[in-house]
Amino acid sequence: MSSVGTIGEAARENSFVLLQIGHRRVALPAAQVAELAPPVRLHTFPHTTPLLAGVIIRRGRIVPVIDTEPVLGGKSPVSHRFYLIANRQIGGTNELGAIPVNGECELASGEMQPPAMDRPAYVAGTLAVGEDSVDVLNLDAFSAHSGAEASR
Amino acid sequence: MTATTKVAGEANASRQAARRGRRPETVVLFVVANQMFAVAADSVHEIRSTDSIAGAANEVDHPELPKVRHTIERSGHTYYVVNAGIHFGLPVTRPSLVMILRQFRAAVLVDRIDRMVEISGVHPLPHAFVGAERDWYRGLAYLDDSVIPVVEPRGFLTPQEFRQLDGVRKEAERRDAEAAVRA
Repeated sequence: MSSVGTIGEAARENSFVLLQIGHRRVALPAAQVAELAPPVRLHTFPHTTPLLAGVIIRRGRIVPVIDTEPVLGGKSPVSHRFYLIANRQIGGTNELGAIPVNGECELASGEMQPPAMDRPAYVAGTLAVGEDSVDVLNLDAFSAHSGAEASR
Repeated sequence: MTATTKVAGEANASRQAARRGRRPETVVLFVVANQMFAVAADSVHEIRSTDSIAGAANEVDHPELPKVRHTIERSGHTYYVVNAGIHFGLPVTRPSLVMILRQFRAAVLVDRIDRMVEISGVHPLPHAFVGAERDWYRGLAYLDDSVIPVVEPRGFLTPQEFRQLDGVRKEAERRDAEAAVRA
């Protein structure tokens, strides 16, 4: 029983969702992904937090939308096909966050390798997919660290 | 749907909101640079046109607080007039109304009032928002398929900003008094 559980946990740990953001292919640990949502209306209002585009309403919840464009490139959040909604840890709190994605998402398995020393904080590691090496995003670090980097 | 089931449904929704710590409340919807905001109706003392209070306005100038250019006298109190567009970093507009806040020496320049309405509750601002907006807003409200920020009246001027403005105003009054004595 315990070995089955361990295999299950390992499978979850080694599962990733590959997604296309702009022209870049990146990965997120599958365990963090809540759902892929249609491009519902983005609600914007004045704020000063870097890399946040606004919020969407999903299943009655207000979900902040991460603006990945300044860091990862690609199109603005208003011209995309889906929102990938994932769990984030902000401070001591779990919160959903949405990333605008403009390509299809697929599942991949593999062992994440640690990132090179010069990689930004929002890169948790790399994943070998075929002959490519794909950055695995660390959404928890994404906004705070990437905001500073994007403003440089 | 019968009236009974509708009332029951509304009561259920109200209970669910209350369970989450949210209470229905009446808000004033106002617009600045095409952006709609809400403010609790009981935090607004009165709404006047800028023309009607022009005679009661005095200039105040603090280089670090460009959002405050005037004071107005109402009922023996001096209110600092905050330009909401500058406060929220919105494009410059020509505000036509002043919302004078209750229990707080601030008034707010806005473009227009949309309406007064009851919202089902105020949802907390997501933790992902970490900037000045945490002081600006009490949270967010759903209304007519839109998400509207519900402003925190005390966010328009911090206690430190009040102290700075009080200092500037007293200095100006002192200079005016000296000039009057010399004349």
